[in-house]
Amino acid sequence: MNIKKLIRKAEVMLQSEEEARKDKKIQIKKIIRKLRKHEKKLKHEYTECNDFEESRQIKQEIALAYNQRKKGIKMLKSLKKKK
Amino acid sequence: MMRKIILPTILAVLGYGFWLSPDFKVITAGVAIFLFGMLALEEGFKAFTGGLLEKLLKRTTNKLWKSLSFGVVSTTLMQSSSLVSVITISFLSAGLISLTAGVGIIFGANLGTTTGAWLVAGLGLKVKISAYAMPMLVFGILLIFQKSKELKGIGYVLAGLGFLFLGIHYMKEGFEAFKDTIDLTAYAVEGYAGVFLFTLIGLFATVVMQSSHATLVLIITALSAQQITYENALALAIGANVGTTITAIIGSLSANFEGRRLAIAHLIFNATTGFVAILFIYQLTAAVDSVSAMIGIANDNYTLKLAVFHTIFNSIGVALMLPVIPAMVRFLQRVIRDDKASETSMPRYLNQAATGLPETTLAAVRQETLHLYDNAVGIIAGGLSLKLDDIHGSQPLEEVIFNSRNVIPTNIDQQYQDSVKSLYAAIVDFSSDYQGAMSSSQVEELFRLRAAGRDIVEAIKDTKHLQKNLSRYFLAENPYIQHEYNTIRMRLASVLRELHKVRNKKGNDSTIILSLDRLRLDMEEYDQNLNQSLSSLIRQKLINGPMSVSLMNDSGYASDVTRKLVMMGGTLFSHSDLTVKNIEQSLSLDDEELSEMMREQQKNAQRNRSDA
Repeated sequence: MNIKKLIRKAEVMLQSEEEARKDKKIQIKKIIRKLRKHEKKLKHEYTECNDFEESRQIKQEIALAYNQRKKGIKMLKSLKKKK
Repeated sequence: MMRKIILPTILAVLGYGFWLSPDFKVITAGVAIFLFGMLALEEGFKAFTGGLLEKLLKRTTNKLWKSLSFGVVSTTLMQSSSLVSVITISFLSAGLISLTAGVGIIFGANLGTTTGAWLVAGLGLKVKISAYAMPMLVFGILLIFQKSKELKGIGYVLAGLGFLFLGIHYMKEGFEAFKDTIDLTAYAVEGYAGVFLFTLIGLFATVVMQSSHATLVLIITALSAQQITYENALALAIGANVGTTITAIIGSLSANFEGRRLAIAHLIFNATTGFVAILFIYQLTAAVDSVSAMIGIANDNYTLKLAVFHTIFNSIGVALMLPVIPAMVRFLQRVIRDDKASETSMPRYLNQAATGLPETTLAAVRQETLHLYDNAVGIIAGGLSLKLDDIHGSQPLEEVIFNSRNVIPTNIDQQYQDSVKSLYAAIVDFSSDYQGAMSSSQVEELFRLRAAGRDIVEAIKDTKHLQKNLSRYFLAENPYIQHEYNTIRMRLASVLRELHKVRNKKGNDSTIILSLDRLRLDMEEYDQNLNQSLSSLIRQKLINGPMSVSLMNDSGYASDVTRKLVMMGGTLFSHSDLTVKNIEQSLSLDDEELSEMMREQQKNAQRNRSDA
């Protein structure tokens, strides 16, 4: 475990409101990253899909992941503003 | 009856002892302070057991050796095998770990507890630990008054250690002073009679104090003051090891069948180990002598030799029992049966033992709500005249719908009464009773779980409304209405299938949970399309007025079922921790955002068409 990680763990232990907020920000960033990756993967699947119904579903999922990601970025911005 | 006699007898004996000898008073006060220290220590560790322990348990109990190591390490750190066994029973009762993992942890805890003897014999008796106790108590109590849960926890741990040290100090002092007035070794009994007698005394003392650690410290301090013989001390240690199972047995009284199985496994392990130790006591003593000589312990250092003995006989116990764990688990599963398994309406995870920690309480509520869902999903499938196995299977849903052309008689009201209503009531009662010790985020999660239960119940009620017309029209002669109702069946079956997939997906992360929103989006789109096709069907007189009204109402019910089940799935099927779960819930799109997204998609499609 590197020092940065260790410090973050120790910070979470002493969890003040500020720390909880920091932790939340980190988790949101992680989910946004996962959504972006998921979106990319879906886009790739979409280009290779020949089935009409399946490609319709993938398209929907891409749009959903995009909108959820946008919502996450908004949340992140409002958390930064609160600081 | 026994309880009514035992307590007054103990009080009377103690009272007589206090009157007889002031030194006895000091020793028993030392034991009392030590036990109080254990209580404070347990309270302190509970503050840290939250999410951390839950995560650790999930990661470290998938293999037997990992469970065993977890038991060793956690007991060494917390210096309380009782706390570890009670926590393990809580986790087992809440369905968080398997019985094999639980047995592994308990066996490991038996090994971990031997470090206590080393610490007391090696450090406690050589260093003036009362000098460390005072500042620990002062800092500890100061921290206990702090608001922060973590600081409070550290305070309890410090104060607990302070009281432990103080207790050891008083026991040591008491025995030292006792030496001048009475020589207890005069009552030593030699041979196997002594072994049996002192094993029983050790067992009784541990049952009364409910802490083998306290008994062991008492034995070590008495041994260091030469108030008991080395041979009798060994027998006392064996008795303490068997007696310690009482904590798990008491803990399991309020647990479910799994908790009882674990307590019996604990008893079998310790009793077998004790039996083997008694049987080969002289060989073991010889082994202790050689090991002690090998690691440089002086021949007359009996306290450290006692620690060696404690470690050796517990290690032998683990070595003997480890290979038979799978057989033992099978035996326990056969002997202690789950009486409630056949009664689907009976709660399986809601029991007193699961309330040991807020996390286990939450886990028990979650597992029970999943049980509620399992009962409900069968009713919903029946309401759609479909078999649940077909929905969860791999056959394309079009085929499933096409092949299911018979009405499956399902009395939703009756089934709701039989397998849902009382279970849901039990969940609500349980979650209302045990939210006191929870943090705000845990209470929030508890409310979400309760809302998930409510969503399940409401989904059944909506299915009931839907069932009446659906049973009539999906086999109707009019092909148009028949098609529309089969589309509803298809939509709802795909929701159930998707939920089943998400639930069983290994490592279902946030993206999978968030992808459940697609089911709501699908239903929303279907609703919009239905409005258009309904107008055309009525205009062309392909369906009559009553049919169209029924279809409109029933598509509404189908949307409600979808929305409720998806919301329930987001809460119940996510394996994330509370912070991430909160974020998942916030990122999930609400109805308005979904509509907005659809409008955006339609605009884009129109733009693309006009561009083309």
